[in-house]
Amino acid sequence: MGLNPYDTPRGRLHRLADMTRRQFILLMAVLASIAGSLFGGIKTLGFLFPNANLEEPLAFTADVDPEAITVGNPLQITEKRVSIIRDDGGYYAVYLICTHLGCTPNYVTNVTSGTGVTEDVAKSHGERKAAEATPNGWACPCHGSRYYIDSTNFYGPAPRPMDWVDVQFSPSGKLVVDRAKLVVQRGAGVNTKPEWRLDPKTRKDNGKTLP
Amino acid sequence: MRASGAGPNPLVRFASQIWGSIFRHGLPSTDKVAARTALTNFFLHIHPVRVKKSAIRVSYTLCLGGLSFFLFILLTISGLFLMFYYIPSVDQAYQNIKDLQFVETFGLVTRNLHRWAAHGMVITVWLHMARVFYQGSYKPPREFNWAIGSILLVVTLLLSFSGYLLPWDQLAVWAITVGTNMAKYAPIGGPYTRYVMLGGRTVGQGALIRFYVLHVVALPLIGFILMVIHFWRVRKDGFTGGL
Repeated sequence: MGLNPYDTPRGRLHRLADMTRRQFILLMAVLASIAGSLFGGIKTLGFLFPNANLEEPLAFTADVDPEAITVGNPLQITEKRVSIIRDDGGYYAVYLICTHLGCTPNYVTNVTSGTGVTEDVAKSHGERKAAEATPNGWACPCHGSRYYIDSTNFYGPAPRPMDWVDVQFSPSGKLVVDRAKLVVQRGAGVNTKPEWRLDPKTRKDNGKTLP
Repeated sequence: MRASGAGPNPLVRFASQIWGSIFRHGLPSTDKVAARTALTNFFLHIHPVRVKKSAIRVSYTLCLGGLSFFLFILLTISGLFLMFYYIPSVDQAYQNIKDLQFVETFGLVTRNLHRWAAHGMVITVWLHMARVFYQGSYKPPREFNWAIGSILLVVTLLLSFSGYLLPWDQLAVWAITVGTNMAKYAPIGGPYTRYVMLGGRTVGQGALIRFYVLHVVALPLIGFILMVIHFWRVRKDGFTGGL
């Protein structure tokens, strides 16, 4: 075969150009079949991505009196993975999804214990008064990440603070949390306390979202 | 050569015919008959007709591939029994497991057999791979079988991972939460991978049925097909220093 003087790359190209009508149609048909199969195959994979599921809606009403949430006593709604916190500025809600690998951190009232973090640092992130003994926050049960009460991570493998979600007053005066709306989303190393709050007097938030 | 010596009694002749239709040869008394017996029997034909005694000597690694296959068989059978009681529903799965442990006859031993065999299979597959690596048995002509074996290792690990969710206890849910969030960190299509694994955004009913189908049908089937190729390749490439 190698002895054939016409069997060179240029020679083969020449033969391609000399293709008969029938060969050309066959080639096009084969190419079209391959393209169609690839397209259909990729689209068929869409079956594995559900368009409808039975997960609960991301917005819900917290069935408690908002006045029962006081400074130093946040409301933990573990099954909804939300904590509603009140400080001097008003209410805010933290979405309790650990930024490491997605477990639900537990509320603890001595979040710095055993971490070597001094308590005055913790208190600059917390809503607790200086007179009170230990700072509160969250500790993740899976790999031990710790968060101050403003959701800033300070210990363990968590790469960034947990997100804050929207919380508003309903017309009947209850708190409505919408986990689809993130009002504060901070990247790694952003340790400043966010200013977003829901004011209990005006019943409106101050609009200071991050970013 | 049909079984000979059928007596004049029609009942004996009938029984002899049945026997002869299943076993086409008499006892393999000569090498020739032994070879023909092996070649014409479905269950025997996957084995070589002749094997050197030194080639099947069980050495200090105790035939780790064979142990893995034995555990796979054990897992298939015990898993089949567990399927009679287990319903992949978030409302019932945990209670089914409790029933298996405390109510059903031999439920506890069946479940534990499945659980410990699963741990054991991960260990033996891993050691099998280490043995093949350290002895250089992946080198030509066995490099294709090394590749098949690598996929079989992944299938084993995925079987272990998918089975982890099925008891639907706290350990299961959070282990799968952590595991699928690791998949989310993948550079290309990470969040899509997590979504398609869970069939949603959280570990719920969608995730449970997906992991169940993968665990009891898809992954064992893939594993079985690859094992057939793996064993066939082992035969073709031959043994050298025992099992």
